Amino acid sequence: MTISIPTTVIIMVLGLIGIGIYALLTTRHLIKVVVALQLLVKGAMLALVLAGRLTGQEDLGQSLAITVIIADTIVAVIGMALAVQVRRVIGTLDLRSLTSLRR
Amino acid sequence: MNANDAFLLTLGLPVVASPVIYLIGRIATRKYPKVDLARWLALLTLLVDGYFLFIVGTEFIQTRHELLIAVGAISLRLDGIALLLAVAVLALGTLVTLFSGPAIARDSGRETYFALLTAMIGTIIGLGAADDLFNLWVWFEAMALCSYVLVAFYRNEAAALEAGVKYLVQSALGTVLVLLAIGLVFANTGSLDLEEIRIAAQPSGLMLAAGALFIIGFGVKAALVPLHTWLPDAHSQAPSGISAMLSGVVIEAGLVAMLRALGALHLVTVSWGALLLGFAAVNMLVGNLMALRQTQVKRLLAYSSLSHMGYILLGVGAGAVLGSENSAAGGFFHILTHAMMKGLAFLAAGALLYSLHQALGNHDPLVVDDLNGASRKYPLTAFAFSVAVLGLGGLPPLAGFMSKWQIFVGGFQTGNAWMIALVVFAALNSVLSLGYYAPLVNRLYRRQPASIVEQGKPIPVLMSVPMVILSLGVVVLGLWPSLADWLTGPAAQSLLMLFGG
Amino acid sequence: MAEQLILLTVGLPWLGALLCWAAGDRHPRLQHTLAVSFSVAAGITALLLIPFGNERLLVTLPIGGAFGDFTFSPDGLGVFLAAIATVIGSLAVIFSVDYMRGEAQLGRYYAFVLFFIGAMVGLVLTTNLLLMFVFWEITALTSYALISFHNDDPKAVAGGIKALIITQFGGLGLLIGALVLFAHTGGYDILAVIANPGLLPAGALAWMAFGCLAAAAAKSAQFPFQTWLPDAMEAPTPISALIHAATMVNAGVYLLARFFPAFEGVAGWREAVMAVGMLSALLAAVMAIVATDLKRVLAYSTVSQLGYMVYAVGAGSVFAAQFHLLSHSVFKALLFLGAGAVIHSVGTRDMREMGGLGKKIPFVRLVFVIGALALTGLPVLNGFWSKELILEAGLEPGNPLWMLIVMLVVSGLTAFYTFRMVWLVFYGQPRAELHAHEAGTAMKVALAPLAIGTMTTWLLAGSFSRLLSESLPAQQIAAHSTGEILREVLTASVTWIALAAIGLGLAAWWQRDRLAGIGRAFSGLGKAASNSFGFEDVNRAVVMITQNSAEKLRETQTGMLSVNVAYLLAALIVVMTILALGVGLP
Repeated sequence: MTISIPTTVIIMVLGLIGIGIYALLTTRHLIKVVVALQLLVKGAMLALVLAGRLTGQEDLGQSLAITVIIADTIVAVIGMALAVQVRRVIGTLDLRSLTSLRR
Repeated sequence: MNANDAFLLTLGLPVVASPVIYLIGRIATRKYPKVDLARWLALLTLLVDGYFLFIVGTEFIQTRHELLIAVGAISLRLDGIALLLAVAVLALGTLVTLFSGPAIARDSGRETYFALLTAMIGTIIGLGAADDLFNLWVWFEAMALCSYVLVAFYRNEAAALEAGVKYLVQSALGTVLVLLAIGLVFANTGSLDLEEIRIAAQPSGLMLAAGALFIIGFGVKAALVPLHTWLPDAHSQAPSGISAMLSGVVIEAGLVAMLRALGALHLVTVSWGALLLGFAAVNMLVGNLMALRQTQVKRLLAYSSLSHMGYILLGVGAGAVLGSENSAAGGFFHILTHAMMKGLAFLAAGALLYSLHQALGNHDPLVVDDLNGASRKYPLTAFAFSVAVLGLGGLPPLAGFMSKWQIFVGGFQTGNAWMIALVVFAALNSVLSLGYYAPLVNRLYRRQPASIVEQGKPIPVLMSVPMVILSLGVVVLGLWPSLADWLTGPAAQSLLMLFGG
Repeated sequence: MAEQLILLTVGLPWLGALLCWAAGDRHPRLQHTLAVSFSVAAGITALLLIPFGNERLLVTLPIGGAFGDFTFSPDGLGVFLAAIATVIGSLAVIFSVDYMRGEAQLGRYYAFVLFFIGAMVGLVLTTNLLLMFVFWEITALTSYALISFHNDDPKAVAGGIKALIITQFGGLGLLIGALVLFAHTGGYDILAVIANPGLLPAGALAWMAFGCLAAAAAKSAQFPFQTWLPDAMEAPTPISALIHAATMVNAGVYLLARFFPAFEGVAGWREAVMAVGMLSALLAAVMAIVATDLKRVLAYSTVSQLGYMVYAVGAGSVFAAQFHLLSHSVFKALLFLGAGAVIHSVGTRDMREMGGLGKKIPFVRLVFVIGALALTGLPVLNGFWSKELILEAGLEPGNPLWMLIVMLVVSGLTAFYTFRMVWLVFYGQPRAELHAHEAGTAMKVALAPLAIGTMTTWLLAGSFSRLLSESLPAQQIAAHSTGEILREVLTASVTWIALAAIGLGLAAWWQRDRLAGIGRAFSGLGKAASNSFGFEDVNRAVVMITQNSAEKLRETQTGMLSVNVAYLLAALIVVMTILALGVGLP
């Protein structure tokens, strides 16, 4: 039995998204949340490249992916910077201590 | 000047000027700590940008031709919706810049603030004009990036950081969903151009999934209930000027992005408009109930933004699903009036927050008890705040009444029983909202000021100027609502083109 | 000429409002002067407008689109109510010079009073239903602001917000009416639909008719919305006289009278209007019998008298309703301002603490008794003639006789509570050590013309009927001379029956000790009446449920990031399901 390249990629995309969302729902650590977001974006990026390949526009798909990488890096940087400040001001990276804004 | 060039400059100037503002501001602050060069540069940028937008606007209104330009892979289109969003964001942004000078004068990182504020304004103008799906995403993401940093501007405050984290994570999850949707659409139609997708998109399960992802992805930013959970935190913890921008134009920009994406998929299903109307009902009710028992002023205003998003959705939803031009125009009119009223409310609350807390060096939230008797010491601010919240409550002769009215008229004109029931529901919600707006006004005019008011610092003139301008605007548009027709009419036509044409 | 007069009558008070506000609370004398001059000027322009009443002019401010052109027309109904609003408005302002002397925040007070006067004029003169709704809401807004004028008093704030919310709730009816009108005609022209009700399909017309009835009931404090008016008595007394007795509460009656030709054909509408009026008149009269707060008694009597007017419209006599509106505005403003002079003088509103005040403040007693006799409906004061005209209208063929009998009983009850009130305040032995001083000059200047008016406005019956008859063709009012109208009243059997009922009411008051046993039997009714027959419970329950569900809902904002993400995924699943089902708008 052979598995085609698109099928493999689709499975990878779904896997990355699934892991990312699972992590967002369960993790209590801020850094892990940022990592989970990274996994999610990587999944979406793969989907874009695959879409480019399926429609015969690989260049376009790749340039989309590169743009996404840039934006995604900035998100990661801001996320990490926030994490640093959270650690400094609140003293922990545990999400359970980030629940003061309620109701 | 050629209108196309002016259009390009309108979009480009704030984005290009942003790093310059940052650098010059940074250097100047180091040499002369007293001189706040960044904010004056930002103001200048926005005023010049306003001039460019004026050229574009007059050309568009005279000829009624959409402007189309392409810079490399970026293709842009100026239609009624783009123009309305640009006018709203630039006008409110300029006033907020003016207001923010004294408001954050004691905080560090001012050059970052003004640079990012300017950039955010530019990205929102761009978002409104994006003509291809991926461009739309890029502008949307750039706007989000600016706003993350601005929300967490008070980076040594635990609450601001908490709000920033939640905002970033939920927004970022939203943008990922949008990317997935773009992937699906791209794979299905082989194109990213909105016009080409409009023609190519046919009903299929994958396209429905893409639409759902668009609704949820953009819906996080547009604060659809129950995706709104970040909003009360972010809007209440951000600096007040940023709160005004977030509630006044950023969530509306999220909605515009959603409308563009769904408009491209309008042939896929008849459900888009029904979904918008469903969210409208939920947003109105939940926003009002959440605000009803709220004791923090800025949080209350943030929740009320949910219900006002509901009114806007009611208007544009009826435009999308039933083709009602008056509804759509009313929805866009409400975007304008809400930007003015909620902007004014946040600026006035911010002025009080500044003079009662921040100028004394503490970061406690402004609670409703702090408003008691504030009119004795701050008559202008109290009046502005009253105009804002009574306008939000839909009392004439203020602008909020007229925009709600136009939405209601459109709804009744459709003759659809569900739509009429929704309008009545919306009107009932307006009455409910007075249950929390009116007591705020009463507190302001008590005779006995709260002790905190007596110790309050004066409010700087530069903070009062934007409040006066916005108050006047709210009253004038309330007395003469058709003054906004030149903006709302074309926007409504553009929306009807998007969903049916 | 008429154009300028209309704009002046709306604009002068509004300009005065701005100036009073701008003058600042540090210059109270300037504020008093400005308020008096602008309100008197508006009164003069409104009176000058009356001769234009039958010229069918139209003033148009082009706005267009979804908002329609803003149009004004000075017809008989409009100019007459505009004159009442501005003339009684200026008297209330003059009275305030004494009553509000030394109060803080006069700027806010006068600004809202003048804002109200202008809006009330606009409300009765406009022929654009949207604009009418706008003015309608502005009067509600100013009424709320003035009830809550003493913002430090939680009762005043609660009363203001209650009035605002209940009238807004009722106002939805007018909103629906205006939206229906626009949806079917593409405009808001009131005159068009009155001239030709067939413009609207029968169903839509019925929605509009009953919507307007709900709005009118809320505004005029009629059943089942009457509960806000007694609580509105926290307002400064000149406000109670102006807004909650003489003008704003008339807006509901005005609305019904204005649209009567359009709605009279709607099945069940006239009967519903009569029933609302009759129930309000009866229930409020019962409540007035047990109330002990002087202003609340007057408030209940206002509800009751407005009930008469609403009943009259339903019974088909717009003229009788409007003529009683004129009488009532004058004598009730007199009673309220008189009560204000009493309260200002003794510092309490509780009638149980008063008694024997007549000797100390004879001038106030004199004018108050004149007003009370008019309220009772005794000849020859203005209240007598107009009330009898209403009762006569109830006799017209087609109107149920039992309703008329109830209205006759109410006249007896009115006599009873009015005499009880006068007695408790001015006669008998003093029941508490109260220091009383006679009314000030400005108060007397305001009271005297009202007292004279109470004794004389009935002489205007003839010219009033001519004015309405010529300018309101659709209302089908026959023009009669004063003499004819008086003869008609005096020869009608129902007049004598009503006088007998009034006599019975008075007799009951003289024999109150012997009737104490019956009174106790009715104590349950009295208790129910003071609780507004359970309507207060309904109001409270609605507020409670809303507040509690709001409090419960707040718990959904957990502040936990993972929960927020879960909401997002849940919403995604719901949206996908809806899309999979293909739900559309039917």
